[in-house]
Amino acid sequence: MNTDYKIAWVHLTSRIRQLLVATLSVTFGISMYIFMNSFMSGVNDTQTEITFTSMAHIRIYNDLPTGTPIPIMKEPMEKNTILMVDNARHILYTEGMKNTDPIVTAVSKISDVQAVTVQMNENVFLQNGVSKVSASLSGIDVPNENKVFNTSHYMVSGDLKELDKRTDAIVLGTGLASSLGLSNGDNVTLTTSDGVTKNYKIVGLFETGSKGTDQTKAMISIYAARQLYSKNKSYATDIQININDYNEARAVAVEMKGITSYKIEAWQEGNSQLDSANVLRNITAMAVSLTILIVAGFGIYNIMNMTVNEKIKEIAILKAMGYNGKDIVKIFLTQSVVIGFIGGIIGLILGFTISKIVSKIPFKIATLDTLPINFNPKDYILAFVFGIFITFWAGYLPAYKASKVDPVDIIRG
Amino acid sequence: MNALKATNVVKYFRTPEPFKVLKNVSFEVDKGEFVSIVGKSGSGKSTLLYLLSTMDTDYEGSININGTLVTGKKQNELAAFRNEHIGFVFQFHYLLPEFTLLDNVMLPALKLNSKSKEEIQNRSMELLDMLGLKGYEHKRASNLSGGQQQRVAIARALINDPAIIMGDEPTGNLDSQNTKIVFDIFKDLAREKGQTIITVTHDEEFAANSDRIIELRDGEIIGTQEN
Repeated sequence: MNTDYKIAWVHLTSRIRQLLVATLSVTFGISMYIFMNSFMSGVNDTQTEITFTSMAHIRIYNDLPTGTPIPIMKEPMEKNTILMVDNARHILYTEGMKNTDPIVTAVSKISDVQAVTVQMNENVFLQNGVSKVSASLSGIDVPNENKVFNTSHYMVSGDLKELDKRTDAIVLGTGLASSLGLSNGDNVTLTTSDGVTKNYKIVGLFETGSKGTDQTKAMISIYAARQLYSKNKSYATDIQININDYNEARAVAVEMKGITSYKIEAWQEGNSQLDSANVLRNITAMAVSLTILIVAGFGIYNIMNMTVNEKIKEIAILKAMGYNGKDIVKIFLTQSVVIGFIGGIIGLILGFTISKIVSKIPFKIATLDTLPINFNPKDYILAFVFGIFITFWAGYLPAYKASKVDPVDIIRG
Repeated sequence: MNALKATNVVKYFRTPEPFKVLKNVSFEVDKGEFVSIVGKSGSGKSTLLYLLSTMDTDYEGSININGTLVTGKKQNELAAFRNEHIGFVFQFHYLLPEFTLLDNVMLPALKLNSKSKEEIQNRSMELLDMLGLKGYEHKRASNLSGGQQQRVAIARALINDPAIIMGDEPTGNLDSQNTKIVFDIFKDLAREKGQTIITVTHDEEFAANSDRIIELRDGEIIGTQEN
């Protein structure tokens, strides 16, 4: 064994108590880093998951054009004629999208696309006796809807597939059902904005955890919806697309530009608050956990500084005997890196254990049964890297100071 | 060849105010000579020793050890030079308290790394034996008496067979019996092994028994006396 390491080893093992305290501070810092980040990324994922129960990553729909309205008449040729359009504005000439099949086919071919579904969304009134509630009716393509929104996962009673079996089947959000005083198996009267009225039978109830959705949404089969509104076979108001990584939605949306002239909207455009909340939560978690690690670093710095002061005579004699500055740095740096390494390994285990325990504690909130915790290898690697990095510097500064000790000053007293 | 040669060495203390501690000190020491440097407190004798030891590099003039000019070398070169050519014995032993005697003695040799670990260990045992510390090899340095610790420090100074052994009041903390033991060891080293010994001392008897006394006063050599 190299003599420098041997001296470092003897220094470490002769002060078990200090070693323990220093190790614990690193352990605590690293485990807290892991727990905080696992928790925050769990919260972010849950939040995103709830958001994407009613919203796809990319949506294609018929929107009013933006920008200044351009007159349909051409600019007059004669110089002395002026074209004046009073109160120019955009008008939506067509509603929805008449022929969605080619768009769906083209979009499905893009490699990042995971699932595509078409929807027909309309506002309707639902009536049960005297209670009358406005609701947003969604005509859905059941198998594809499931792929995009995982809708059947949120069914609390009944079966979503029933929608495909009968044209008068409807599924309601739990909030909506209770405000109408209805439950599974009851009948409900639906009135469209055009005044068409039809009776439906409730075949299921769902709860997504997003109250806005649960209190207003009703779903029927898209075929039944087209029939209700007398629309053609491939008519839809929205095409909803999920992609592999929702953070890439903007880029994929740009890629789709050539497919259709309808509006293609990535989820971030309409929901910047979610996007920014995720980013802010990550920053908070990072800041808090890094602070803890830095405090742990100060702990090590302090202990190593004390050690250097305590051993200053030994340092002087080692230098007199021919040990150079590098050797001295090595002796003291080795100690703090060992502390960082041991503390780091224990911290990883402790962080994992705390996360595991907390992820099992019952915690009823919204649709959650326990606190959301992610187990991301990236968090563990980063925690360890940061931990080693901080202990390295916390150890290097006192070690450097030790290497600069002038043996003459110390030995002469 | 001289074991050591100092030429026109001048040293200033800069704080609290500039003060010339050594004024043009020049002398030579032969190989195998046992030299004592004496003088009153403040005469500059310790300062001179630390310049000769290469640990203090802030001086004018030049110092030659074993034919090598050490003046102007870098700190790391000097550390390696000390490791190989100079052994130190101080007033206080400065042993590493958490290490065994054997480890303490072996440290400079392990640093030099020119022999195998077994050879170093055997040589350390020999030295400890020679200095009357047989059986204590695996004891911790902190568990010994002052005289024993000083003998360990001497063993440590000898482990690399240095050309010069420098002592700063090596007997300053010892009773007369231990002083005599240390003195005899030094005498033997000079006589039999041909190692050069330079010590700074207050002890007149110790100085009187060495080969030569160099007396300093106010930073100047005022006389040398061959015994």
